[in-house]
Amino acid sequence: MGWLTGKTARLVGTSPAIAAALTAQGAALVEEGDCDVLVHVAPPPADVPAHEITFDQWRATLDAGLDQRFLLAKDFAALRRAAHKGGAVVFVGAPEQALGADQAAAGGGLGNLTKTLGVEWARDGIRVNTVQTRSSGETLGNLVAYLASDYAAYVTGAVMGVGLDD
Amino acid sequence: MPVPAHHIVAMPPPFEAPPYPADIFAGQTVLVTGGGSGMGLAMAKAFAQGGAQVAVMGRSLDKAQDGARQIAALGARVHALSCDVRAPEQIAAAFDEVESELGPVSLLANNAGANFPILAEDISANAWNAITRIAIDGTFLCSAEFARRRIAAGQGGAIVINSAQYIWTGFPGDAHSAAAKTAQATMTAKLARDWAPHGIRVNAVAAGFFPHETSTAGRSDEMTASLPNMIPAGRPGSIYEFGWLSALTCTPLMGGLTGQVILQDGGESLRRSLRNPDFVPPRERVQGPWGWQ
Repeated sequence: MGWLTGKTARLVGTSPAIAAALTAQGAALVEEGDCDVLVHVAPPPADVPAHEITFDQWRATLDAGLDQRFLLAKDFAALRRAAHKGGAVVFVGAPEQALGADQAAAGGGLGNLTKTLGVEWARDGIRVNTVQTRSSGETLGNLVAYLASDYAAYVTGAVMGVGLDD
Repeated sequence: MPVPAHHIVAMPPPFEAPPYPADIFAGQTVLVTGGGSGMGLAMAKAFAQGGAQVAVMGRSLDKAQDGARQIAALGARVHALSCDVRAPEQIAAAFDEVESELGPVSLLANNAGANFPILAEDISANAWNAITRIAIDGTFLCSAEFARRRIAAGQGGAIVINSAQYIWTGFPGDAHSAAAKTAQATMTAKLARDWAPHGIRVNAVAAGFFPHETSTAGRSDEMTASLPNMIPAGRPGSIYEFGWLSALTCTPLMGGLTGQVILQDGGESLRRSLRNPDFVPPRERVQGPWGWQ
């Protein structure tokens, strides 16, 4: 198969399964610059009771789980618009309620940001979707590759998980 | 209004290029409820493209047979049969019939449903019961029959459910279907949990507008013409995209996917502006409860 044959993809963050799936489906991974696909993986923050979360921890989770994602997607979309090409953004992270209050805030914000950008950029041909999951295996990789591909051309603003507890 | 020329509309690959190999369902039998036309037929064709044997079930045997002929043309072994998904004993008999014709059912696509625009106060008890029970009872009863047989055989399986994009917002002018389609989506998560120990996965697609000859939108040329620019994606869905995603959730490529409801509506349900046209209650809409008929 080759869901992403001929496409360039930038993977920010670490996920061997996603990197493998993007490559297996024919995408060329790039480090920077204009590309067809942006996948952003945020690492799960520590699970700490709300009253014990330090301000630094709180900001770090919000920064990685929400702020950086928005700014990166904004830059990606600007390059796509300048090239007059569509594209796909896939955000990957932990489920909203899986960890601490910091993730609850970042994950919820990200979900509704996804729905918003999916519509705001729809006529730029830029799709935005999110997978919030505890999983890290092959299904996650394949799901992200699908969402990044033209096979998901009618999927935008979707927020989903992978397994039962997502 | 047509979609402005400078807008970019994301398009899928052609029908001839499905997102999985032609043998991914080889040796498996899928049962598609309401598979004779529309979205069910699209599901059935997508499973056929992956090499499944296809049982096409419908209340009307004629319609099921029409659909089966189209699926057979793709090279699949097919069997058409009639069943009312509200009747447990009919469902059990249907599974028996499919098993004797094609072999054990290892994949299930719950599509059977009906829908039409109507004011809530005009929905008769019969109409309410028909729409809600075909979707809610039918999905539950067919899924449970499927699961009992898979569990007894000591084998897993996969179920996909055709839900709708309006399950999170309500759908004024369509109260029966609003309730029915959400019930399908919420039972998805619980069925998945109950049957995960048995290797049975359950997922749903919250589908948007996929016009076809039996859809309500298809009855109005004006509606069909206005659809593309009304939808953020700049077009209604191609029905085979829906079939593909439905079938894809049942492949080993998605072997860890369960309990999920995947929105596929081109952003249509997510449209929102601070300012909108004046609110007109469905009762007072010149063109009917959905605003255009």
